Amino acid sequence: MSRTAGATGGAPVSDAVSASGLVRTFGRIRALDGLDLSVRKGEILGLLGPNGSGKSTLIRVIVGLLRPTAGAVTVLARRMPDRGTSARIGYMTQTAALYEDLTPRENLTFFGRLYGLTRREARRRAAELIERVALMERADAPVHELSGGMRQRTNLACALIHRPDLLLLDEPTAGIDPPNRRSLWEYFHDLNRGGTTLLVSTYIMDEVERCHRVAMIERGRIIAAGSPEELRRAAGAATMEEAFLAFSAPAVRGEAPAST
Amino acid sequence: MSPSRVAAIAGRIFTQFRRDRRTLGLIFIVPVVVMSLVGYLLSDRREPLEVGFVNLDRGGTLFGPINLGMSLEGALRREGGVTLRPYPSADAAEGAVRSGAIAGALVAPADLTERTFAGETAELRLLLRGVEPIIDNAVRLAVGRTLAQLSQVLAERVAAAGGAASAPPVTVDERTLLASPDLATIDYYGPSFIGAFAFFFTFLLASVSFLRERSTGTIERLSASPATRLEVVLGYLLGFLGFALIQSLVILGYSVWVLNMRVAGSIVVALLVLAILVVGVVNLGIALSFFARTELQVVQFIPLVFLPQVLLAGLIWPVETLHPSLRVLAQVFPLTHALAALRTVMIAGGGLADIGDRLLLLGLFAAAMIVVGAAALSKQRG
Repeated sequence: MSRTAGATGGAPVSDAVSASGLVRTFGRIRALDGLDLSVRKGEILGLLGPNGSGKSTLIRVIVGLLRPTAGAVTVLARRMPDRGTSARIGYMTQTAALYEDLTPRENLTFFGRLYGLTRREARRRAAELIERVALMERADAPVHELSGGMRQRTNLACALIHRPDLLLLDEPTAGIDPPNRRSLWEYFHDLNRGGTTLLVSTYIMDEVERCHRVAMIERGRIIAAGSPEELRRAAGAATMEEAFLAFSAPAVRGEAPAST
Repeated sequence: MSPSRVAAIAGRIFTQFRRDRRTLGLIFIVPVVVMSLVGYLLSDRREPLEVGFVNLDRGGTLFGPINLGMSLEGALRREGGVTLRPYPSADAAEGAVRSGAIAGALVAPADLTERTFAGETAELRLLLRGVEPIIDNAVRLAVGRTLAQLSQVLAERVAAAGGAASAPPVTVDERTLLASPDLATIDYYGPSFIGAFAFFFTFLLASVSFLRERSTGTIERLSASPATRLEVVLGYLLGFLGFALIQSLVILGYSVWVLNMRVAGSIVVALLVLAILVVGVVNLGIALSFFARTELQVVQFIPLVFLPQVLLAGLIWPVETLHPSLRVLAQVFPLTHALAALRTVMIAGGGLADIGDRLLLLGLFAAAMIVVGAAALSKQRG
């Protein structure tokens, strides 16, 4: 009934991320409950699920911030957590994790140097990214003066500072207005054309139409995975929202007796 | 104006306080503890100070052999504020005062009895450290009281023997061993306040800035980067160290050039003391920030961490005058050792050799806090 990404195919060697049997508990809460997932190299995978379904926990396990309680995750052929691999991952947090009293340029330079760039490289790269995410006029204003869209663009730029091979984006468009959301997605596709693998989590159903493949997550498990079209067809649904509800309904009912 | 709206707001504040157990505890417990300490410190219930006594008096004969030095010793033993420690020679007593083993020493001269009975003025020598005005004063007062008593007894005995109506006064030659005798109040308290400022601001800023790192999520980014825990801790240390040292230099410069504070020893050594203290305090701040959710809660740590040290570390009330149990507590506080070292250097002109043991203790505190800070940082990772 549930189709995992692994089942959909793809040799493990070409996987940027491969997770199997992931469990992560916080006290009595099982945030991840035997989750299997693979992200293929060069794709944009949408991680679709409601609030509290385990999206952030999964991303934090992949990036190496959390140790799984059980199971394992391999990123770019290395078992996580692994410091060397951390340097090849770009991580964009849900809220703009920036130093509020520094400017975007200073934030970028700082994170660049944390990822091992020299001061000069970091400055050059910061200037490049400021142009890329269209922050030119506000690049030297403190972050706390910026609008929500500009912050999120700065946030994205920070995640890109070290030219990561894999980009993990945790609800990057939450609370962002449609024009800004559209331009963020344009950056994502741009990056993807340059060879970057992207994992984008979201609770906004129609947003995943822009992804190559979608993994639906609920209660710490992947309940379905495939291209948007495949998922809609399999669920016999016209929209992504209907498809999600169709896949999640049996899962929820199936879980109900087990949870106290 | 609606009373019910006012009541709703007041009620909400009560509910919030009831939920916030920690604040509730602090509001009621901390003032009680602090008030008890302050009450104790402001009362004159001081522990007796150890004072040395050297009796060089050869004695004399009145109705029989008499030794005024011994009478003085007996009177000092009965004096409440003093625990008497006899020393064989003035040099031995002076050594003990210098090292801080005793608070002061009184030397009775060889001709004390002779001169007094000959109607001449005898001179006692009082050795003081000169670093803590409160202690020096306490010793001075105790000696003064004893001498007044003794000269009264003496006057009666001399009169009874048919001698002069009034006994000649005994004078006291006071010497401060460690500092110049004419220091102003700021010279005594300046070093302590510089230490306390360094502690306070470093603790506050380090813990708030680390807390902010958590609440804005930048700590996630730091942790997801290849930066190691040690690199993060060392980076924090270096940043705050520079900041704290510049702050200390500004306070020091202002005190010296504007307030005319005198500094006897090396400023470089004083800065070294501050640097080692700050290393420990930055990590203390990092560690404690993990137990706080909001900046308000960080501020609440101040009465817990800082206030007891201000009261007991010798900032105003010398550690030597505290109750033995509080003295033990004071030895645990890093600020106690930092202030003692700063006073030794800045008032008494001591060098590295004189503060070696204090520096060692401060170094141990710093090392322990680096371990605790790094451990707290690893709690951040899952």
